[in-house]
This record gives sequence, structure tokens and C-alpha cells, in this order.
Amino acid sequence: MSVTAVRPPAAAGRAGTGKDLGSLRRRRPVRRPAALWSRRRAITLLVARDLKVRYASSALGYLWSVLEPLLLAGIYWFIFTQVFTRTVGAEPYIVFLLAGLLPWTWFNGAVIDAARALHAEAKLVRSTNVPREVWVVRVVLSKGVEFVLSLPVLFLFAFIYGASVDWQLVLLVPAMLLMATLVFGVGLLLAPLVVLVRDLERVVRIALRLGFYASPVIFAVQDVPEPWDAAFSFNPLAGIFELCRAGFFPGVVDWGHVGLSAVVSVGLLVVGWCVFARLERTVLKEI
Amino acid sequence: MVPNEPVIAVRDAGVRFHRGKRHRSMREFLIRGERGTRPGEFWALDGVSFDVRAGESIGVVGRNGQGKSTLLKLIAGVMLPDRGTVDVDAGVAPLIEITGGFVNDLTVRDNIALTAGLHGMSKADIAERFDEIVDFAELPDFLDTPYKHLSSGMKVRVAFAVVSRLEEPIILVDEVLAVGDKAFKRKCYARIDELLAAGRTLFLVSHSERDLRRFCTRGLYLRGGRLVEDGPMDAVLATYEQDNGGVK
Repeated sequence: MSVTAVRPPAAAGRAGTGKDLGSLRRRRPVRRPAALWSRRRAITLLVARDLKVRYASSALGYLWSVLEPLLLAGIYWFIFTQVFTRTVGAEPYIVFLLAGLLPWTWFNGAVIDAARALHAEAKLVRSTNVPREVWVVRVVLSKGVEFVLSLPVLFLFAFIYGASVDWQLVLLVPAMLLMATLVFGVGLLLAPLVVLVRDLERVVRIALRLGFYASPVIFAVQDVPEPWDAAFSFNPLAGIFELCRAGFFPGVVDWGHVGLSAVVSVGLLVVGWCVFARLERTVLKEI
Repeated sequence: MVPNEPVIAVRDAGVRFHRGKRHRSMREFLIRGERGTRPGEFWALDGVSFDVRAGESIGVVGRNGQGKSTLLKLIAGVMLPDRGTVDVDAGVAPLIEITGGFVNDLTVRDNIALTAGLHGMSKADIAERFDEIVDFAELPDFLDTPYKHLSSGMKVRVAFAVVSRLEEPIILVDEVLAVGDKAFKRKCYARIDELLAAGRTLFLVSHSERDLRRFCTRGLYLRGGRLVEDGPMDAVLATYEQDNGGVK
């Protein structure tokens, strides 16, 4: 009848997902990515809004997003080249630092924001029927776009310091894919838990602060003496940072690290998604 | 959509809530985990089953805290049943917690685009209906004002304007008609009449007998989370009144 006729395609497309969302009991986890994909417009809308708030609402918007990694890079550069004699990393050290600090900033920011994604947007989560994963994906992607926008800073320093640049720069692409997978997994795991256990948010911040030194940002895994290096190579960020540095420092990539990173990231994503699906019902009541 | 197939099928749906605080400390969470029945739990909705066909207009009655809003949230998909199933075969325009989806720091213009988009309206549709929405909300001069600076009446007006413009076959209305001045209320009524005439399915939660009689043909009466009566609106209202000794 006429009601069906006046419905726009968008609404018609949702009819199917509406059913999926309603009968979640019978819905297997494999259906979730499909439901999420069908509402990708909601994600682009939210990411666009985040970036707008970030860059349009303050004149120094762009500067703010690169200021922290720049200041950190400056400090570590000073400490390790002027105060101590540097024995870690590679030359030029400032490029080595930035190639680790910029992806670390993405990881750090996205994990903090993703952990409180459901809690912070409680009102929207309560009133809009989109797959709840949207709130986590949105954070991962917003921070990812900020990372891409901060890359010119890295290239600028590589140019100034005359770092060699070669084709391995394309490894930034798999690095970003791995990072997105990893952060999405961690976010899915933490977001519902933070709603149920509020003090977890503090734990996350402390863990990240320690994680900075447990990750090869200011040094490379190769600089860590035995037997500790084994522990560092299990850090999924090790492989990702090596891929980010590959274009400037040939031979820095240990494909074993990259493989481990991929396994850990995908594993965390699966575990995170299962936890998210299981806690969703409780979270919606508690939020 | 096949005619006469139910658009909403609720089967033995139950939602369990917990009195008081839950999962406050890490310790409690680690020891008890997420599942398990604890003292102080109750079913806000318990074993509710019914079917709704396209074009029906349903009024939900019951005293406060008897599960009316929980039922609407299940249908809107913003809450999930702990037991049973809720199948909704068509898009839903939820006029519940209506101002919830609006972001204080964004302007009215951005909020309209964001909320409409989150509810699944396409970019082209938003552009096309933008003037209509602004017109309905009567706020052409406030388009670039941050949402937080609007009065509470204005907020509801914007929200109602957006959500009631969604081209979804099912509309959920929860008490929003209680807010707003007389003139705007009249407009809302007219809009709901319009939607009903177009064959939409309506779910109305209200304490106003007049509204219920005006819009609804079928009534659901919830008491203690259970569906105690499902029948013609007038009959359901009669039972409800009898139960509560004339308390409305």
C-alpha cells in the first residue's frame, strides 16, 4: 500500500536491520559486522561531526592535534641526544621518535575515548537505535583521521633532517589497518566494562601511561636486552610502529613482530566483540 | 510488506532490572561477574506477548513504573529483552526521550542534520525536509543558536519536528504531548492525525484519557510489568479506571 511506496530507500534498507536488532537473542555474532556496515552513514556523520568540532571550532585546531606529539618528541629528543648519549633508536632520532609518537597518540587517544564512548554519549545511545558498536568505531576513525592529518609533520621533519625515504613508506597503510583493528578491539572490550565498572576508566589511564614505556616508542625492540626483548615483541604495537618507521629506516621491520601484531589485534577484536555483544543488554539498562 | 502480517511481534518479552546500585566496584564485578540472580532484582516487564499489524493505533496505559516506557524502548530497539523476543519488521520513529539525541554544544541546524541522519534519514531527504522541520518547530531565527541556549519548550519543539518527519512506518510517542504550549500541542495533534491517516502504526503512552481516546483504537494495560488487558481502547480504559478507583 501507499505507506510502503512513500518510504525512502534508506528506511526500506533499515527494515531488515530493525528485525535483527529486535531479535538479538537469535542473532549470531557474525551478523553484527553486517548490521554495523548497513549503518555506515551514521558513522561518517559522527566522524564528520567530531572533526568539525576539532578543527573548525578553534583557530588552533590543527595545531592542538599535533602539539602533544611534537612537544613529547622535542623533550625525548633533548633528553636522549643532549643529556644522555643516545644508544637506542636510529638516526635521525627525531624522525624515529615522531614515527612512533604519532601512532602512539592515535592509540592513546582512541583507547581513552573509546573506553568512555558509551558512557559519554549515554543520552544518544539511549535514544537512537543504531548498532551500539557505532559509538566505538566512530572514536577509532576520528582519531585515525587525525593521525593521517598529522603525517605531514613527520614528512616535514624527515625532509629537514634529510632522512632517507623509500618505497616502504607504503607500509603505513597496513600499519593503519592493524592499528584500527587493535584499537577497535580494545575499545569494544573496554566501552561496556567502563559503563558497568566506573573506576576502570582510571585503570585505563594508568595502564596507558605504563604502556607508553612498555611499547617501543622512544626505543626499538632490538634495543631491549635479552631476556626482556621477548616480552616486548608480544606487544602488538611493536609491529605497527616498525611498519610506520619502515619508510625512513630500511631494515627496521621484523616480520615476526608484524605477524604477532596481526594475530593479537585480530584476536583482541574477536574477544572484544564477543564481550561487547554479551554485555550490551546490561549496558543499555545501566546507562 | 505483506498486509496483515504483524509489523511488531512481541513474544513472552521480559526485562529484568535491579533495585539500587549495580557493579559499583571492581571487586564486586570480579567476584560476581555479570550474570546470576541477586536479591533485589525485579521484572519491569514480564511475559508480555502481543502482535501489532500495520496501521493500528495503540494506547498503552498503566500507572507510573509499571513498564510502559520499558515496552516502548524495547520496540524502539534501544533496550533489549532479557527473555523472549521482540521482532520489529519496519523502521521506527521514536518520540521517546525525545530531546536525548540532541547535542547541547551544536547549533540547532547541526542538531537537525545529526539526529535525522542517526535515525536513518538520507542527506537528500534532510535537505528536502529541512525547511519543513524548521517551519514546524517555529524557530527560523534560532538556527545558528547552540541547542543548550534554547528554552525547554523550544527544545521539545525542535525534537518533535525532526522525529515526526522521519518516514518510518511505526511511531512511538511517550508523553511528549504533555510539554509545550497549547498552540504547539494542537500542531502536534494535527501531525499525529496526519501520520495516522497515512497508515502509520502508532504507539502512544499517555496519562491523558482524552488523547488516548482520540488517537487509539486498541489499548494495552500494563500492571506490575504484566500485560493485564489487550482490547478496544474504551474497554481497557474502563478496566484501568476501575482498578485505580478513578485515579488517572
